[in-house]
Amino acid sequence: MRKPRRIGALSLAAVMGLAACGGGGSPTAAAGDTPVPGGTLKIAFWDDAQGCIDPNQVYWIESRSLDRQIADSLTDQDPETGKIVPWLATDWAVSDDAKTYTFNLRKGVTFSDGTPLDAAAVKTSLDGTFALGPRSVLGLTYLAGYASSTVVDADTVTVDFDTPNAAFLQATSTTTLAILSPKTYQETPEQRCAGKVVGSGAFTLDSYTAAKQARLTKRKDYAWPSSLVKNQGAAYLDAIEVSYIKEDSVRVGSLTSGAIDIAWPREPISEADQQLIQAAGGSIESRPLPGISYQLVPNVAKGGPLADLTVRQALQKAIDRKTYASTIYWADYPVVASVFDSTTPHFADQSAALAYDPDGAARLLDEAGWKLGSDGYRYKDGKKLTLVDPVTVASPGDQLVQDQLKKVGIDLSLKVVTAAQRVEIFASGGFDLALTVLTRADPSVLGSALDQAVSKQGTAIYSQDGATATKVSELFAKGLQAVDPTKRGLVYADLQKYLVEQGVSFPVFERVQLAGLSSKVRGFAFTSEAFLRANDIWLSK
Amino acid sequence: MMLRYILGRLAQAVGVLWAVFTVTFVVLYLLPSNPVALLLAAGDVQVEDLSPEQLAALEAKYGLDEPVYVQYFDQLWQLVRLDFGNSISKNVPVSQLLVPRLGSTLALGMTAILLTVVVGVAVAYLAAYVQWRPARVLLRRLPAVGVSFPPFFIGLLLIQVFAFSLGWLPATGSDGWQTLILPAITMAIPTSAMLAQVLTRSLDDSLAEPYITTARAKGLSRHVVQARHALRNAALPALTLLGMLLGATVAEAVVVETVFTRDGLGRLAQEAVLAQDVHVVQAVVLVVAAAFVAINLVVDLIYPLIDPRVTHAHRTH
Repeated sequence: MRKPRRIGALSLAAVMGLAACGGGGSPTAAAGDTPVPGGTLKIAFWDDAQGCIDPNQVYWIESRSLDRQIADSLTDQDPETGKIVPWLATDWAVSDDAKTYTFNLRKGVTFSDGTPLDAAAVKTSLDGTFALGPRSVLGLTYLAGYASSTVVDADTVTVDFDTPNAAFLQATSTTTLAILSPKTYQETPEQRCAGKVVGSGAFTLDSYTAAKQARLTKRKDYAWPSSLVKNQGAAYLDAIEVSYIKEDSVRVGSLTSGAIDIAWPREPISEADQQLIQAAGGSIESRPLPGISYQLVPNVAKGGPLADLTVRQALQKAIDRKTYASTIYWADYPVVASVFDSTTPHFADQSAALAYDPDGAARLLDEAGWKLGSDGYRYKDGKKLTLVDPVTVASPGDQLVQDQLKKVGIDLSLKVVTAAQRVEIFASGGFDLALTVLTRADPSVLGSALDQAVSKQGTAIYSQDGATATKVSELFAKGLQAVDPTKRGLVYADLQKYLVEQGVSFPVFERVQLAGLSSKVRGFAFTSEAFLRANDIWLSK
Repeated sequence: MMLRYILGRLAQAVGVLWAVFTVTFVVLYLLPSNPVALLLAAGDVQVEDLSPEQLAALEAKYGLDEPVYVQYFDQLWQLVRLDFGNSISKNVPVSQLLVPRLGSTLALGMTAILLTVVVGVAVAYLAAYVQWRPARVLLRRLPAVGVSFPPFFIGLLLIQVFAFSLGWLPATGSDGWQTLILPAITMAIPTSAMLAQVLTRSLDDSLAEPYITTARAKGLSRHVVQARHALRNAALPALTLLGMLLGATVAEAVVVETVFTRDGLGRLAQEAVLAQDVHVVQAVVLVVAAAFVAINLVVDLIYPLIDPRVTHAHRTH
């Protein structure tokens, strides 16, 4: 039964592995392959710390990957273009003030409990998600300004907002605003988290035990995927079995030994493990996670060195992002080029402004009065140029940045604290640099971290002085008012340029979702937000 | 007399449990953060983003708005009724988390301890019995090797060989006896090494006692002398150690359950501590304390069976 290990293929596979992981295209999808229905896909995630499967409530990205299979949304988002396309809604209209949305619904769609999906069901679902309040941490921002939903007729529903929310259209494509059966909202939020959720997806949730297992079986009468899916009928797979394997090497070993078909990690699969997977005949798929790139945000409010724009601009030049990507990850790992990852709609390349320029950084620091001392660090009025960065673990990446900054005379102090302490430090402003990340395929997501007008987070309050904050809030507000994609694109391009130039954010690396596939898996696809899409997946014999 | 002894020990056990509860309560409430802020932070939402009403509602939901002494007595009363409250991070009653995991860890711990006893006693017995010098030296050095490998390394090694390369046993999961074997071996290697070390030493001591010389003089075989006379007398320190090893099962299970992806008490404890999930941490600590007390009670009850002098000592006091 078991395949013998192919040691000889290892070196060749290693070379191919490097070529395959940058391409993004599936090397297994050879021409002439016709999908064969049947079989059970076994997928292993790393963990399930939130222990919730309800799409409306969950923020844990692994659960959202499963939710995508069991629950459909009003719209879908094209991973390539970021464009919003029809799904449960065939078309829609958005008012010019971005406060009223009208959706026309697809006919003939049913939930797996037999209830038809109509305007009343959509209203129940949106009201139900809004009613979750802070229980739905993502719903809170997706539905910002939500006033009400109105049933116009059986196939038409209108959603009204008190304040402009141009990002809502993208929000309707997310699992968070997936439409669930009206009966689901009669269950308590706890019961929904534990698996009492019914959607209209290509799979139904059979069982779910938090952090242990989940089982999904296909819906035979499914016929309403979005246009982004090739297979317009029922899924090829009979079932999906989910387990959680915390240890990276065990998860990869399970894949190469054939115990699972997909290994889905949180941290990128290491180069060595990628080679192991490819040596066993498997392949690697990857997609940068859209949303806020991994970045550090300054504290300009406590009178530290970063209050000075010149120092912030020097810091921007002192980080060598290319070396970061190639040494912490691998040779052709994408280099971060903005405050957003490259897969975010309206991403605008800022790589010129983010180029590594240690000489320029040194010049700027000299200009700002920070003179090089005999110990290699810079001083001004007897004070050392020290920047405090609270971390929970001093990762190799953190240490690399520390080393890079040392070259221009900046002392990056990695203060190791517990997660609980870091929350306190971020809130009280006891930092010079604070980390922020968040996944959502819409640029408005950055507002939750940086816009003082809507966010009271430390990363928003302390990162900008009054004048800068006014300008930043203005740009974010414009983005939420602009309905026209071209206009939105222009606003967010301005915003990205401004944030980088003013040193409101220091992007460090692009976050990438990887998945290791066994040789049997065909038709693998990522959604726009880098979640799993299983409609087209089939297993070769 | 025996009954009074047992009742006294039971009363002690209740006292220990109450003290453990109180200490955990104090420690958890002195930690520098509030559970609601942490819970929200885990979801990328800062506590500052919520309106005061939303925050108050959340705190009321978890009973965090009451004065500390009210919370203390509320929780104590709940515990008396075996109600552990709700998990903050996992949204389910703690008992629902605890019961299946307790069974899993119990099965793992029992298998591991069985292996520990068999291997530990065998190695110690042979180390004392074998007379060929190289084998004797090897058997006496073996425990030091067993103690010095960290469990996560042994675990990964076993998985690599027996699960991935040979395919004999599953690498992950907690269903079925097959999934017990590798984790139990991983846990038993350091513990059996410790047991073997202690037992070898006390066997050596016993074998030097005058009554052994007497037994030998009676013409008994070395095997009979060692098994019937020396081992019984050497067993007491080993039994004490065994009680402690049993009590430490959950702590060891943290690593093993993570490596082998087992659904157990150790992993639950670790996750709950990281998430500062107060009720779960408390419940796990109490269950572990209860197990520790129970095991030591059993060990204490076995002592007199092995060595009648132990009850004599109690009588004279």
